[in-house]
Amino acid sequence: MKQDDLLVMKSITKTFPGVKALDEVNINVKRGEIHFIVGENGAGKSTLMKVLSGIYPHGTYSGDIIFDGEIKHFHNIKQSVSDGIVIINQELALFPNLTVYENIFVGHEISKAKIMDWDKTKKEAVKYLNMVGLDVDIHRMVGSLGVGKQQLIEIAKALSQNVKLLILDEPTAALNENDSENLLELLVELKKQGITSIMISHKLKEVEAIADSLTVLRDGKTIVRIEREDINEQEIIRNMVGREIEDIFPKRPPYEVGDVVLETVHLNAFDHHVNRYIVNDANIKLRKGEVVGLAGLMGAGRTELAHCIFGNPDNYKLSGRIIVHGKGVEMHHPNDAIKQGIAYVSEDRKQDGLILNETISQNITISDLKKISKSGVIDFFKQNQYAEQYVKDIDIRTPSILQDVKNLSGGNQQKVQVAKWLFADPKILILDEPTRGIDVGAKYEIYTIINDLVAQGMSILIISSELPEILGMCDRIYVIAEGLQTAEFDIKDATPEKIMESATV
Amino acid sequence: MNILKTIKKVGWIIQKYFLTLMSMIRTNIRDYGMFIALFVIFITFSFMTDWIFLGAINFTNLLNQTAYVSVLAVGMTLVIVTRQIDLSVGYIGAFLGAYVVVGVENLGQPVWLALLGALVITVIVGAGKGILVAKIKVPAFVVTLAGMFIFKGLLMFRTNNRTIPTTHSFFKNLGIGYLPTFDVGGYDLITIVIGGLGILLLIFGGINTRRKNQKLNIPNEKLELFITKTVVMTLILGYLIYTFASFRGISYLLLVTVVVVVIYHFMTTKTTLGRRIYAVGGNPDAAELSGISVEKILVIVFISMGILALISGVMYASRLQNTSPNHGPFWELYAIAAAFIGGTSAAGGVGKVINAVIGSVVIMSLKNGMALAGVDANLEPIILGSVLLLAVIFDIFTRNVRPIDYVGIHYAKQKFGDELRSAQEAFRQAKINLRKAKKEDLDDVIEYEYAFTNAQGELNKIKDKIRVAKEEDFVKK
Repeated sequence: MKQDDLLVMKSITKTFPGVKALDEVNINVKRGEIHFIVGENGAGKSTLMKVLSGIYPHGTYSGDIIFDGEIKHFHNIKQSVSDGIVIINQELALFPNLTVYENIFVGHEISKAKIMDWDKTKKEAVKYLNMVGLDVDIHRMVGSLGVGKQQLIEIAKALSQNVKLLILDEPTAALNENDSENLLELLVELKKQGITSIMISHKLKEVEAIADSLTVLRDGKTIVRIEREDINEQEIIRNMVGREIEDIFPKRPPYEVGDVVLETVHLNAFDHHVNRYIVNDANIKLRKGEVVGLAGLMGAGRTELAHCIFGNPDNYKLSGRIIVHGKGVEMHHPNDAIKQGIAYVSEDRKQDGLILNETISQNITISDLKKISKSGVIDFFKQNQYAEQYVKDIDIRTPSILQDVKNLSGGNQQKVQVAKWLFADPKILILDEPTRGIDVGAKYEIYTIINDLVAQGMSILIISSELPEILGMCDRIYVIAEGLQTAEFDIKDATPEKIMESATV
Repeated sequence: MNILKTIKKVGWIIQKYFLTLMSMIRTNIRDYGMFIALFVIFITFSFMTDWIFLGAINFTNLLNQTAYVSVLAVGMTLVIVTRQIDLSVGYIGAFLGAYVVVGVENLGQPVWLALLGALVITVIVGAGKGILVAKIKVPAFVVTLAGMFIFKGLLMFRTNNRTIPTTHSFFKNLGIGYLPTFDVGGYDLITIVIGGLGILLLIFGGINTRRKNQKLNIPNEKLELFITKTVVMTLILGYLIYTFASFRGISYLLLVTVVVVVIYHFMTTKTTLGRRIYAVGGNPDAAELSGISVEKILVIVFISMGILALISGVMYASRLQNTSPNHGPFWELYAIAAAFIGGTSAAGGVGKVINAVIGSVVIMSLKNGMALAGVDANLEPIILGSVLLLAVIFDIFTRNVRPIDYVGIHYAKQKFGDELRSAQEAFRQAKINLRKAKKEDLDDVIEYEYAFTNAQGELNKIKDKIRVAKEEDFVKK
């Protein structure tokens, strides 16, 4: 072991019943560097970090963790934290109904004889918030802040615990481009102050921007360690998927634009809960055989616009018209939208899309029960036949259609969600963040499905926060900013800069 | 020599059958746990009571006692599946029972009119509860707690705070009557014919489904499991038929219960309404966005609960041959307990009506059995509470059971047996060495740590390999 290594993990093997999640994984992280761990979903990145932080206690894995020159046997997260290893997960571990300063010191409160010293707590909180460059009233409830700010509070919390090694698990997955950039800058800043970080990320642009070195994991094995000077995107992708991907986006044959199938005319939506217009004068058109993108920052009102079109399940007060196939329609429930041939694949597949403890075949057929039933009685043979067909058609990888959806990987869950809506035979398909949190290989497959559907005459509206995806897949792009429709681009004229400019009005 | 081989072969076939069966039961322990528990309870009480417990008279009586809880538990299962609760059904049931009895006995209404009136009331009340919960978003706990108080009051009004005996033949038939019998040699032929048809339906229905699945290439359950299940079910049904036939045949209370359960089982497993109810319970947001009206489903579930409360209340009053202001308390809690003992998940989306009925039988068996065995009556609620707690703990522990294949493990043990033993030996040795090194405080103690963790890793690897072994891996080779 070299002197400048802060962390060495040596031939770590971790098995779960039926799966080998980690197989002789080796990583080393030098003092004062930003080290990235990249890999497809299911490659074992998160498992490795759980081993490191003691969530999987010593004894449940084999191999060694050597941190700061000592072999460590962490039995729980508390021990790893007290040694200066702090992990920040995708699901933030904050208390939404506590204030900022309370959150920073939960678990290691500043107290005198068990009585809280609030003055010192607040003073310290301000100090750490300054360190992460967050200017926010410390008396605010954390739940009222955006995800980006919450993440910074997590980091401030880590700093307050004398962190030596900061681990961030996909920190930018839920952030918009602005917040992401801030976060990356902060990491570089912390590096200068001597804090080593490990970052797990899907976004290779970030890797190129700030990584000092990286380790690629695939199928629970260490594939390669790459140093700063050798980092390039193609090389990383090749190692991640174990094959060349020439193009991230599949080619689509030239399309023929048909009639307008969906149009919103001066559509406004007022939300009583926040007491303001969340959609403001939206005028969008979608033609047959077209892929249209809704670009914009997170929270700009794109999902809300989609909800308005999809039968207004949140009961916003609407004005303006929605025109489907040339006819103005009134829709009061998603059911009405489905009858109009509209389908909506939601952005949060676990929360709004799938019934996790039911089987694949039950999930797929829930969108049109009439098709598999006669006078209210379900024909199970028919149900399973349809399910088999979709599993084959869009290649959902599962041992059986009777598998519970919760046991599938993210990419396959997303495919089940798409299959569920294809089962309803829609003419218009709205995809809300269709590739969030799924790996490169599965993304490519989703894109291929999109192209196939459009070729069959379907019209698709994609909401995405990833600009490359919008630019790679769409024929036309609308940009939404704070509920306002700020720009429309043909794909020929669109550039990332122009879109960002319109999105940050 | 040949004979020995044949014996060995037959022995392995039998062993394999049981290993497969054990794998299936172990893998699906959540579905079978309660049946095993019920079996244990039955056998225990039978021993304690010299087999009177399972004898014809007591067993028939037990099922009649269970009827009103079973019916409530069926409705409660759906309420809990949709993530709600209904505390009002005990007093609503008792009130509706009183409504019908008082209508017939004191006000001279014909039975059908009294029942119709009660039905109208319960549908309106159910719809009201549903709308309050689903549309106005008052927590179900509060709505139904209020309902519980209100209907307790209404029950006292309706009965005028007096116990009113029933005289009408409708109540007599329903409460203590039996289907017509046709006696042959001390056994009732009608029961035997009905039961026989049931058994035939069970066997041929099962075979038919398997055939159709095979034709359509849909995976079937293992043959071993199917055969065992069918045989066990046939034995149970056979015993029930024998019991009823040798006593007084099938009681109306049992008949009504079975009809309710069959309808609800069919509704929950085979209809679009059932699918929607479970979808709403499993993930209300996803259900709403799939075009299902969550509001409508909740209203339907509360109305169904109300109708079952009506049936339950009338059954209870009929069995006791009176209505009284003292009826009602704890009914809803028994129903909730039965649903939970039956594996219904408080998180929503999971629960079977049949299992809730088994849960009711468990509860009533405890009451009945302990009374029969002469156990101190004060013990009964303590034991019931413990059983409820154990059932839910069991359910939580078995939530993430992974498939196990004992046949594969059997093969793997043969194949990797030597490796396992040598790895165990190496691990033991490494442990001793490490302890020694620590004691002597050697400088290179870290080397022994390495050796120890490596040996542990090797052992775990082989153990894992055996634990997850599947039969197919070995049969192919």
